Amino acid sequence: MPAGTGRFRFISTAAFSPVPLSDETADKLRGLSRALQRISEATGTAIAWLTLPMVAGTFVIVVLRYAFDVGYIWMQEGVVWLHAAVFMLAAAYTLRHDAHVRVDIFYRGMRPQRRALVDVLGIALFLLPMSVFILSSSWDYVAVSWQIREGSREAGGLPYPFMPLLKSTIPATSVLLVIEGVAELTQRVLVLLGKAEAPAPGGEPVEI
Amino acid sequence: MEWVALLMFAAVVAVLMAGYPVAFSLGGVALLFAWIGIATGGFDSAFLGTTPNRLFGIMSNETLLAVPLFVFMGVTLERARLAESLLDNLGALFGKMRGGLGISVTLVGMLLAASTGIVGATVVTMGLLSLPTMLRRGYDPRVATGTICAAGTLGQIIPPSIVLVLLGDVMSSAYSQAQLSQGVFAPDTVSVGDLFVGALLPGLLLVGLYMAYIIAVAIVRPAAMPAHQQDGPRPSVVSLVLALLPPLALIVAVLGSIIGGFATPTEAAGVGAVGSVVLALLKRELPMSRLIEVMRTTTRISSMVFLILVGASLFSLVFRGYGGDELVREMLMHLPGGAVGALLIVMLLMFLLGFVLDFIEITFVVVPIVGPILLAMGLDPVWLGVMMAVNLQTSFLTPPFGFSLFYLRGVAPESLATSDIYRGAIPFVALQLVGLALVAAFPALATWLPKVVYGG
Repeated sequence: MPAGTGRFRFISTAAFSPVPLSDETADKLRGLSRALQRISEATGTAIAWLTLPMVAGTFVIVVLRYAFDVGYIWMQEGVVWLHAAVFMLAAAYTLRHDAHVRVDIFYRGMRPQRRALVDVLGIALFLLPMSVFILSSSWDYVAVSWQIREGSREAGGLPYPFMPLLKSTIPATSVLLVIEGVAELTQRVLVLLGKAEAPAPGGEPVEI
Repeated sequence: MEWVALLMFAAVVAVLMAGYPVAFSLGGVALLFAWIGIATGGFDSAFLGTTPNRLFGIMSNETLLAVPLFVFMGVTLERARLAESLLDNLGALFGKMRGGLGISVTLVGMLLAASTGIVGATVVTMGLLSLPTMLRRGYDPRVATGTICAAGTLGQIIPPSIVLVLLGDVMSSAYSQAQLSQGVFAPDTVSVGDLFVGALLPGLLLVGLYMAYIIAVAIVRPAAMPAHQQDGPRPSVVSLVLALLPPLALIVAVLGSIIGGFATPTEAAGVGAVGSVVLALLKRELPMSRLIEVMRTTTRISSMVFLILVGASLFSLVFRGYGGDELVREMLMHLPGGAVGALLIVMLLMFLLGFVLDFIEITFVVVPIVGPILLAMGLDPVWLGVMMAVNLQTSFLTPPFGFSLFYLRGVAPESLATSDIYRGAIPFVALQLVGLALVAAFPALATWLPKVVYGG
């Protein structure tokens, strides 16, 4: 294990002598975690509907082009942007379903406490910093787009405000990831403290 | 400071082993390295400034739209139980032959590969339906599991395939980069369509190799795959046609339109996705609840794939910022054997990484670094792309972490030893390497058909 077995041992013994955390506080934290995860679930299930117009739109574009020899730039842009909105805004929902692929050679066989520890470190060191970085670095980029009322780069493309709207999914995705990250961090810390059940490992048998 | 880039690569591989999701591990490790570099003056913070632009580049990339469309199509067909009816019918057709079940599994694998191309689903379905039958009829468990795992991976090499879409996109920017670096300002292009067409013959070659192996085993070791006498009735012509017609119609519509040069892969994927919905509705296998499942699964898979691309592009940004590109170029240029030596090393590296990482990470992290260098040495982009695709496909089969083996383990009976699944895969890994060697020796296998289709 690259992260050092010694540290794992330290934490797993810590679970036997948890820091003082009253059951009441633990309850509240569990409630908070669940409430935050409901945000990810709700956005994800809503966003998933966009896949239908994406599929239908692509089909219509093909039919129009080959049967009627017409094409509209705004339709082309529309389907690409639906696709972008789907994979960006559903990132937190996908995380909630543990469907972001892991290299689970070791993770699969770990005890629930160790898995929770891996998640805590991953959230604190990678997920949250990366989300916050993307949020802060995209802020001006998006603000400028709104200020100049940016339109499509193509003639006949989608009009204002679609471009800034699409760009705004970048910070929005970051915010959703931070929310889901905080929810999972809270939950995994509770697991480490022996105050919550470890989540069932997710992953689906539809790996592409 | 170039050594920092290599250190970062090693660090990220080590960190990934811990098991936190790849997308965030890639991006997170890169950012930590960048921030340490900025604090100590070893890294120019301007590199990170281009992040939003790069993200937007991923979001507005039209080629990548093919991925969710093909996923939508594959998941719909899977939920519509396409595989089940194919296995039932072809199994009954070939069941009486010695090795017949092995042949039918390979053929179904090929048909599914050309229509859905989702490895996990194919392996799981065949593991649930065909494996128990094969074992009951006295097949050697190793032969049975190896055949199923290998047939399942065909989805990644026979177009339409997600590997080829991702690889095609990466190769096309690598190719234009390689030509720009040589001062070619009106560069040739290579597209996902080129790779689709180029991968077709090598994919069929692999099917041929698998079948030849199965027939050879059936002849040399008849006890390993016995014939079955008291079989049920042969399938009626009607049920056979009904089982074969839908996938064949889709294959003709999707692959036919790409190979015929009428449609781009993205357009064909849109047609295929709608076609799969129509097919599922005709089979009365698509109630609203299942359609919602399809949409949600598509959403999750799509987000999973592209968040890795987001993480990987942060990684390559920082890798480049530390001069890692130059370092890799120097190393590859000074290998003995020129382009051949460099190609050999890269393929070996990808093969070895394939034991622990999966194709998405390798495609997004390794190929953008080595692709432009290899192409600048004069290698053909279609040939290189197809060989990389075969190599990545093999990673699904390599024990102990090949996805295909993992999914079969999940549905195989407890009584079957995991070591049997691993050993069963080994002959097929060897066949993959034979296939790879053949494509390497005869580049026309990959390059001839695209020339015929697209000219030039």
